[in-house]
Amino acid sequence: MTKYIVRRLLGAIPVLFGLSIVLFAFIHLIPGDPATAILGQHATAQRIAEMREYLGLDDPLPVQYVDYLAGLLQGDFGRSFINNQPVLGEFLRRFPATVELTIAAMIFAVGVGIPLGRFAARYAQRWPDGAVTVLSLLGISIPVFVLGLTLQYIFAVQLKVLPASSRIDARLQLDLQTNFVLIDAWLHAGWTFDEKVDAFVDGVRHLVLPAIALGSIPLAIITRITRASVIEVANEDYVRTARAKGLTERRIDGRHIMRNAWLPVVTVIGLQVGGLLAGAVITETVFAWNGVGRWIVDAIGNRDYFVVQSTILIFALIFLMVNLIVDIAYAFLNPRIRYA
Amino acid sequence: MASGTVAVVRVAPRASRGLWGDAWRRLLRNRPALLGFVFIGVFVGTAVFAPLLAPHDPGALYPPPPDASSGATGPYPPRPEHLMGQDLQGRDEFTRVVYGARISLLVGLGSVIFGVIIGGFVGAIAGAAGGRADNVLMRVVDVLLAIPGILLAIGIVAWLDRGLPQITIAVAVTNAPIFARLLRGGLLAIRESDYVLAARSVGVPTRRLLLRHMLPNSLTPIIVAATLALATAIIDVAGLGFLGLGPPDPRTPEWGTMLTDSTKFLRAAPYLIFFPGLAIVISAVGFNLLGDGLRESLDPRLKK
Amino acid sequence: MALLSVDGLVVRFRTHEGTIHAVNGVSFDLDEGETLGIVGESGCGKSVTSLAIMRLLPKPAGRIEGGSVRFDGQDLLACSEAEMREMRGRDMAMIFQDPMTSLNPVLTIEEQMVETIQAHRKVGNEEARARAIELLTIVGIPEPENRLRAFPHQFSGGMRQRVMIAMALALAPKLLIADEPTTALDVTIQAQVLELLQRLTTETGTAAILITHDLGVVAGMTQRINVMYAGYIVEAAPTAELFAKPSHPYTVGLLHSIPRLDAVQGEELIPIEGAPPDQRRAPVGCPFAPRCAWRLPDCWTTNPPLVPVRAAEAVVTTGPGATHRVACHNSPTPGEAAAGRPLREGFVAAPPPSAVADELAVVVP
Repeated sequence: MTKYIVRRLLGAIPVLFGLSIVLFAFIHLIPGDPATAILGQHATAQRIAEMREYLGLDDPLPVQYVDYLAGLLQGDFGRSFINNQPVLGEFLRRFPATVELTIAAMIFAVGVGIPLGRFAARYAQRWPDGAVTVLSLLGISIPVFVLGLTLQYIFAVQLKVLPASSRIDARLQLDLQTNFVLIDAWLHAGWTFDEKVDAFVDGVRHLVLPAIALGSIPLAIITRITRASVIEVANEDYVRTARAKGLTERRIDGRHIMRNAWLPVVTVIGLQVGGLLAGAVITETVFAWNGVGRWIVDAIGNRDYFVVQSTILIFALIFLMVNLIVDIAYAFLNPRIRYA
Repeated sequence: MASGTVAVVRVAPRASRGLWGDAWRRLLRNRPALLGFVFIGVFVGTAVFAPLLAPHDPGALYPPPPDASSGATGPYPPRPEHLMGQDLQGRDEFTRVVYGARISLLVGLGSVIFGVIIGGFVGAIAGAAGGRADNVLMRVVDVLLAIPGILLAIGIVAWLDRGLPQITIAVAVTNAPIFARLLRGGLLAIRESDYVLAARSVGVPTRRLLLRHMLPNSLTPIIVAATLALATAIIDVAGLGFLGLGPPDPRTPEWGTMLTDSTKFLRAAPYLIFFPGLAIVISAVGFNLLGDGLRESLDPRLKK
Repeated sequence: MALLSVDGLVVRFRTHEGTIHAVNGVSFDLDEGETLGIVGESGCGKSVTSLAIMRLLPKPAGRIEGGSVRFDGQDLLACSEAEMREMRGRDMAMIFQDPMTSLNPVLTIEEQMVETIQAHRKVGNEEARARAIELLTIVGIPEPENRLRAFPHQFSGGMRQRVMIAMALALAPKLLIADEPTTALDVTIQAQVLELLQRLTTETGTAAILITHDLGVVAGMTQRINVMYAGYIVEAAPTAELFAKPSHPYTVGLLHSIPRLDAVQGEELIPIEGAPPDQRRAPVGCPFAPRCAWRLPDCWTTNPPLVPVRAAEAVVTTGPGATHRVACHNSPTPGEAAAGRPLREGFVAAPPPSAVADELAVVVP
């Protein structure tokens, strides 16, 4: 098991290395003079010279790359040249908002997807299965922004039951300390317990629509894979053995089928994290959610390349990490790997 | 052999027409896939015959309805002359939705074809060469796959600038690693499989082995994946448009871009969201249905 | 009163390809403590028969469409699912062909054994565990205390089948059905597992049905044998009688298609030509007719009933004195059975009638 983890960790290194090269190239191979491209045609000669200096463009490429890599390893992800702030600091400040949204979306996707998949598998080839299939087809076919806008229109504009955008009612004047709204609600100094509860509930209410919009695609995929996995496992010989032993259907379902059916579902859940991070970029735009995603979109508009480059790098890092963790969890759940 | 022994060959109840013939027949019996064909037909037909279907000019500004108070600005709700209403500038929404199909089809199809070519090329080399080349190429694929989907496309468009070719390339690059992996995996698995071994041992020439045995078998997952990728590509293109990275020319309407422009009028003009949104969903549903149907009919083992 | 009494069992599968006529009216009895072999090639309905007895046919495709199954005085086909559940594992147990896939890969041997015991007995974990250790010892697994914590993939195929046997015998069932228990095992292991099965069923007085395609396996293991073909029992006899006097052309074929060490020099191995019939059609005539060297014109149109070989003999269905019965219009004589082919002067197998020939492409060499 330890050997497996070490092997997986070592396997991630070349990918990280490649990633750094790709993103290095992203800035340094911009067609034409990168400094001019970054600053625009109208920048003063002095600004351009400063930028060339900062980027180290006058050094040979390998030296530039080593400098860049050394910077990364020291946590220097560059500075935004809109406000000259270090990218990492701003990223970390905004990241909790994205994490909160992503986790909420994942809870929605897993919490609904797995029961739905099991339900469809139980009624395989009958109408409830068909209904779930149609639902998951729509799930993967509706873009996040279309679903987001539709949800806003139905629940915020027409029914007025949920807020349309932002993370929390601004009138509450919540202190953002951790920038996790649902945590900060409890940390807010000077509020009574009831006020804290109100703020928390308000935060949850703001999360509902974006989480559904963002979670719809993973929901569809998790539902499909759960259904397929349960159906496949239900036809295994060992399930027949379990029946022949006279176990109750409940026990067969919970122990013999689900413990095996889980395995592919876990892998797929891990793979969805990448999609969620990417989807968060769009969801945050739709719901005016002040996270990393909106930041990246603004940065593209402002041609703030370092922000774009670094955010992609960090997202990729997170994605790799999550998948590593999921693979290890998979190995843990699967004795055939654990005791290999 | 003992005298009087009789060898009996049962006539197969239905003649098999080979892998493709069988797959085609199964596809035609697959009702969801047929529905997918209908949706795709609507989508492709709209794109191809846009100038005939669209009543107006996609870029032209049209006057407000006669009963609008003077000085009022768009958007204007649907009425007989403008079936889906008019946008902020007074352009005909129906015409723009119809013309939007062209961009979606062009960029979606282009990016998938391009992605299959790059990915297929890389995958074929890796799968056929094996060893070191395989290792290096697959690490590159790993790197690309590590960057979450549309984020990679966003980065590429940010790098290459906005425009149809750039968007096509961006979406193609996000697709390509999937095809590379599929083709490589398929080739490797087949190379080691018993039937290729069997074919080789009876002296089937390498060229024939590749064309008749290996390619058709590794091609089917690619066909399925490409169909499903068309759905994703259409959504991704619209997503880029929605983020303001769509094609800049206002005369080439793009569904995602149309949506961004309309988000401010969600309350006043939901029709400006509804129709382009529906167009995207119908196209994506079409390709997803067909892709699923293809997967079921191309895999003879996947019987219900 | 027989322990198990199967009468006119009909099982069909409804699939997208049409209806599969898997079992077409099978009747047999089994006494307490008796060991019965069911022999036939794959697809002949032997496994389906056993799954039908256990009421474990794959749902919803497989259905029992006729006949009755009485076990220990109860009509199994009238039992509720809950009643069946209580009986499975406790009164009737089953061992399957592939020990690689028949044990749950994510549960330890202990979990799988203990849950079997606790499904039927109100015993604590410790007691169930102790019983599990006892059972593993009985089936000859070394260091049972340690092996309990292992997962199936850490066992060899033979050891897994021993675990399956231990699990099946955990509650001392009255009936044990073993479906090709040794087919997936190495030849050297097969004999050990068979010996174990025989010893345990004899010691405990468990009635057993041993299903196999291999006549060699049942030869030393069973008291009686039913030979099945295409969903029918075509011959039924005490084991010694069947080997001494095979009376159905299919049985003769089976006996001649296994190489034997004691074979007379020069005796040829005669394979059974052709393939089993397409079970998507309702059977007409004798199902073996198209492959049979002894067939008469009648064989194409009338399916012979299972009747005593010595006509007018009273039918005894169980025990060592069971009647030798066969379903054949033209039984091979002992001489022909020994030779493996018809010896009568000028005998030629009857050509198919034209109505049948249209559907069959018959190649006469």
